[in-house]
Amino acid sequence: MIVAGCDLGSSTSKVVIMNNNDVKAMAITATAAKPEITLKNILNEALEKAQLKSIADLDYILGTGYGRLKAPLFHSNMSEIACHARGVYSLNRKARTIIDIGGQDCKVISINDKGKVMEFSMNDRCAAGTGRFFESMARALQCGLEDISALSNQGKSPVSISSQCSVFAESEVVTLVHEGLAWEDIIAGINNSVASRLVALVNRIGLAEELVLTGGCAKNEGLGLALQKLLGVSPRKLSQDPQFIGAIGAALLAEDKLRDRGGAS
Amino acid sequence: MRTARAGELLKDFSEITGTLYNPHIGDWKKRGGKVVGIVCCPVPKELIQAAGMLPFRIRGTGSQGTELSEKFTGDLCCSFPRNFFNQAQKGKLDFLDGVVFSNNCDHYRRLYDNWHAAGIRTPFLHMISNPKRIAEQARQWYENEMVALLNRLQEHFGVTVTEAELEQAIRQSNETRRLQRRLYELRKAGHPSLTGAETLAVMVASTCMPPQTYNQKLESLLSELDPAGGSHQGIRLMIVSSSLDNPVFLTLIEDLGGLIVADYSCFGAKLIGPDIEENSSSPLQALSRHYLTEAISCPRLYGSHPQRIQFIQETIREYKVEGVIGDWLTFCDTWNIFHYMLKQELKKDGIPFLMIEREYIPSFKGQLKTRVQAFLEMIRG
Repeated sequence: MIVAGCDLGSSTSKVVIMNNNDVKAMAITATAAKPEITLKNILNEALEKAQLKSIADLDYILGTGYGRLKAPLFHSNMSEIACHARGVYSLNRKARTIIDIGGQDCKVISINDKGKVMEFSMNDRCAAGTGRFFESMARALQCGLEDISALSNQGKSPVSISSQCSVFAESEVVTLVHEGLAWEDIIAGINNSVASRLVALVNRIGLAEELVLTGGCAKNEGLGLALQKLLGVSPRKLSQDPQFIGAIGAALLAEDKLRDRGGAS
Repeated sequence: MRTARAGELLKDFSEITGTLYNPHIGDWKKRGGKVVGIVCCPVPKELIQAAGMLPFRIRGTGSQGTELSEKFTGDLCCSFPRNFFNQAQKGKLDFLDGVVFSNNCDHYRRLYDNWHAAGIRTPFLHMISNPKRIAEQARQWYENEMVALLNRLQEHFGVTVTEAELEQAIRQSNETRRLQRRLYELRKAGHPSLTGAETLAVMVASTCMPPQTYNQKLESLLSELDPAGGSHQGIRLMIVSSSLDNPVFLTLIEDLGGLIVADYSCFGAKLIGPDIEENSSSPLQALSRHYLTEAISCPRLYGSHPQRIQFIQETIREYKVEGVIGDWLTFCDTWNIFHYMLKQELKKDGIPFLMIEREYIPSFKGQLKTRVQAFLEMIRG
């Protein structure tokens, strides 16, 4: 059975094609203003990589992410929370707490030893503690997101960023730049600020080990380190790119759906 | 199957709720009737009814922004008062002959301070100072506040209110309660005959139309709905909320596979509660006792938390609730902290709980849908 999991996120869209639990192809692109076109393009790219001819070769397509409810290609959709939980559990059976930091949302998900979602908490509406926050900080510093990841660990005395609002924090960072503070310290401060937002979400549901980070921002090593310091627990690495976990989970859930309806081949 | 008549009545209730100045108010005004707005639960509508006037529970329905309110409130004020204040400034509440405020929270109180300053020309304004704790002294205070309101109503509108009229208003209001209880009873069915969004519209309508007309309409609706149940199904949810007056919010939840079968909210179950004592030696004493100690209590009240939790737990059992959604408006401190306390209680009982923070005007739909869908998936397992 060949399935696709499509994670149409607020910032990037990801597709994973799977054949009996085996990842055949992965593709990623920036989410454009027209999600249906984004989906078509990225699906075609993934199909090509998997050496499949057309969408008709897929037995099931399951959608997740912000675009999940509107895309006509999907056989069904599930929330990102269910998909990240499924994706993580398939890669690490000991995972109990997941922090998913996406483009516009951050979520803390607690799962049990069967991979079932027990509880979750999400950022309240605004983009504090998400990829958008990092993007606006990178804009204020005129650097790339990769610099925020790389330079953070070199910060000797991280500054304190008090604004949780990304718009205000951007002005705060501009002020710090003009005061002549070291970039490394500002960047470390930015990562600490996001990490403390995430810790507040973790505290709402409680932390159980093992801890796993997913979503695009999980690639930010400085953030991982800041979280580790605040939580006293080091996040476990996954064998797959953290940005694709939602799409992997969606593909696995697609296989579950097929199995449930007895369509296993 | 639902009868055509039931469908018509539900549509009618929904239209009444979807606007501020509904046709029933229009008819009432045409006949020379007065309409008095009330802000929040502790203003006893029975006093206004007894004075021959129509009580109208103030809402911000139809509001699209708070640009006028922000001259007076800043944006750290709860969006419910900010939106209805905005509507009032736009003239959408000009049909009101009076407004009775309560100091349930400071956000409401400050609107009273600014109502006229903002150029809203409601002729009669009054503030009822309602108690914040349950105690006999507080009840006496509340009764005195009711006397003061009655006196001012009589003086301003040139009417006299007799004990018999108070008694009649209490009876009428109890009749509404009895009918609404029957409506809620229908939601206990395995497949209820109406959705949560439809129920909310029926409930909100009771706050903005003449009680007699409402009672007749609701009676007709009840006679059209099969008590054995209907066709609605979904994950059975209870909603815990304050100023939830917009069925659209519940539709969003129900479209994702939930079914709101019960609530603890200001435009829902809290309007019902037990009957007010009839034929008592003092109707005002009965009213003050009802609103302070007998009605389903408000989180503002000190000393009533256990009673509130008990009500929610009993509701969960009676309505076979599978999950609770705690909905609160940003900057409403009273309800926010209550939700965190409720979360702890429900955790002990193993009841899934989802807390949603939102603004009065429906927005952030994408994030809301993600939360609700994930919550429903979690319950389904």
